[in-house]
Amino acid sequence: MSLVVKPNFPDYQTAPVQRGFNPYADNGGSVVAIAGDDFVIIGADTRLSAGFSIYTREQNKLFPLSSTTVLGCSGCWCDTLTLTRILKSRMQMYQQEHNKTMSTTACAQMLSTMLYYKRFFPYYISNVLVGLDNDGKGVVYSYDPIGHCEKRTHRAGGSAGALLQPLLDNQIGKKNMLNVKEEPVSQQRALSIIKDVFISAAERDIYTGDSILINIITKDGIKEETFQLRKD
Amino acid sequence: MSILAYNGGAMVAMKGENCVAIAADRRFGIQAQTLATNFEKVFEMGPHLYVGLPGLATDTQTVREKLRFRKNLYELKENRLMSPKVFSAMLSHMLYEKRFGPFFVEPVVAGLDPKTYEPFICNMDLIGCINQPKDFVVGGTASAQLYGMCEALWEPNLGPEDLFETISQALINAFDRDAVSGWGATVYIIEKDKVTIKNLKTRMD
Amino acid sequence: MSLLEMCGMENAGSFRSENSLSQDISQFCRNFESNIQLGVPPFANPAQNLAQLNKDDAGRDIKIEFDHGTTTLGFMYQGGVVLAVDSRATGGQFIGSQTMKKIVEINDFLLGTLAGGAADCVYWDRVLAKQCRLYELRNRERISVAAASKLMSNMVYNYKNMGLSIGMMLAGWDKRGPQLYYIDSEGTRTPGKVFSVGSGSIYAFGVLDSGYKWDLTDAEAYDLGRRAIYHATHRDAYSGGIVRVYHMKQSGWIHIDNNDCNDLHYKYQAEKQAIQSV
Repeated sequence: MSLVVKPNFPDYQTAPVQRGFNPYADNGGSVVAIAGDDFVIIGADTRLSAGFSIYTREQNKLFPLSSTTVLGCSGCWCDTLTLTRILKSRMQMYQQEHNKTMSTTACAQMLSTMLYYKRFFPYYISNVLVGLDNDGKGVVYSYDPIGHCEKRTHRAGGSAGALLQPLLDNQIGKKNMLNVKEEPVSQQRALSIIKDVFISAAERDIYTGDSILINIITKDGIKEETFQLRKD
Repeated sequence: MSILAYNGGAMVAMKGENCVAIAADRRFGIQAQTLATNFEKVFEMGPHLYVGLPGLATDTQTVREKLRFRKNLYELKENRLMSPKVFSAMLSHMLYEKRFGPFFVEPVVAGLDPKTYEPFICNMDLIGCINQPKDFVVGGTASAQLYGMCEALWEPNLGPEDLFETISQALINAFDRDAVSGWGATVYIIEKDKVTIKNLKTRMD
Repeated sequence: MSLLEMCGMENAGSFRSENSLSQDISQFCRNFESNIQLGVPPFANPAQNLAQLNKDDAGRDIKIEFDHGTTTLGFMYQGGVVLAVDSRATGGQFIGSQTMKKIVEINDFLLGTLAGGAADCVYWDRVLAKQCRLYELRNRERISVAAASKLMSNMVYNYKNMGLSIGMMLAGWDKRGPQLYYIDSEGTRTPGKVFSVGSGSIYAFGVLDSGYKWDLTDAEAYDLGRRAIYHATHRDAYSGGIVRVYHMKQSGWIHIDNNDCNDLHYKYQAEKQAIQSV
């Protein structure tokens, strides 16, 4: 017979619970970029959400890195903050060491290397880097989460990426169109396509909406523009 | 991987002015391997009634035969054609019968009412929840891409030629971004006095 | 300080407040200085444990999908080495790109093909390119393909079982003539005459083996590579886009051509019909 009386505290009687740590969050958002001959346009929606709740309706997801380079991020917002903070510092270090601004192409390669550094614990971000190259031509670089990088003329990334990419292929890349001649898009047309595709995305993707922030990069600098989307 | 994506396939239906269109890809594959490029996923169920069954290929064929049986029985008993609306309700019930062991298909119905020739489209999930919008419905593995394409290309009151162009562009560009669908496409344009069936020339990779 | 040591906190560097940004900058880009040093995740066995982090706080799925999928091939014949690749990159079932470059031009006498994880292959090829260049500068002669391939396989072997996914062929021309090696992230490194790597390789091998012989002319060799890749893109969902053909010669590599699979399909189909109607 046991002499020790076991105390009975029902509040403390719980089954063992396994606690997990979830370092990632999906904060949604979409980024679309189109490059032209002497300009490049990038647009990102301004909704920051988690699951079915909206954190803010006015979050800027475009990060100007230099007067000719802009990075658009969507995905895990905390990863975005860390990545862009380091990236901006690296840009500054380069400026101070070499006394010149890092080119868009160099920046694209640096971003790829930085993403790959976290190969075994990746940044959960869909990145689209745009800018003007050394000849003043517009360029778009798109990335996978671990830094595979490709240069393109148009790219849709983020939560509505799958919805928008085929539309850009059709309208900008002239895919599956017969008897059309390849001609570079005008700035006006690129801008209106970006607005149109975001309207479509806001209809069907709950993580995209509220408004879009657009950066138009030309040799004269970066011009900002906003455009309202549905807010439900 | 979802069992709904095991064989791959893309499907879309659209409403137009006094006409409807339904289109699907022609691939039959097992995961990454393409086995055939002449696989039909859209079936004629009546003079103005078509059903598309994207999803698991074995269930596509099973559900099609079950539907044919039930629809024929109805038409023999009632001695009248089955309207798309009744057909959809029947299909929905049939799928819900298997609520806890479903057929892995996401049906799309397109047709004209046999009396009024009113355009009708609807789609449902694999257990029969009907969605009946006024513009377009999609199904299959490329549905995200199709939503994006249709949302931008579709407009109200399209005539049969414009509807054909719209649905073809929507489908082809959508499945060109989906690995497990494509390899040819079939489009059905359903009008009051004729049904036009066209096979599209597409990428074969 | 002693309390820190007692609690085992001395290693929790990033929690210390002083100088945290500059510390972060070096900590988050350590591979800038030492290319082969990648970030260590805060958990053991990343290949398995990274997959455990696939939910967010709300319990929704987090899908980290890398660009994948390929058909690549390479073979040696009397005229050197021919490499042919497709250009599709898929993340899950979504086609991320139809125009990816799967042949990396390491230098004028070395080409690498990439299959598996796109970022893995491109990053390590870039590191290899740097090391090959350094070798040239130090030794005043080009690196042999055998040595280059061994550098590559040794580098990725350090990360074995961490989840890297690489299946590459290294083609080159050195003092000993044309060379072709196969290297993968499991540590395999082997020379050979005919290789095909990637999800569509089984289909490519079918065509390649039936048409391969040592005495092929250049044009026949290019066509064989092109056809093998085309047939793989037709059957394999994760291959497609453009067929790129390269030729490694004594004078260095040359790029033969790029052909859209769509054009190839209808061209080959027309040829087949012409033969049948005769």
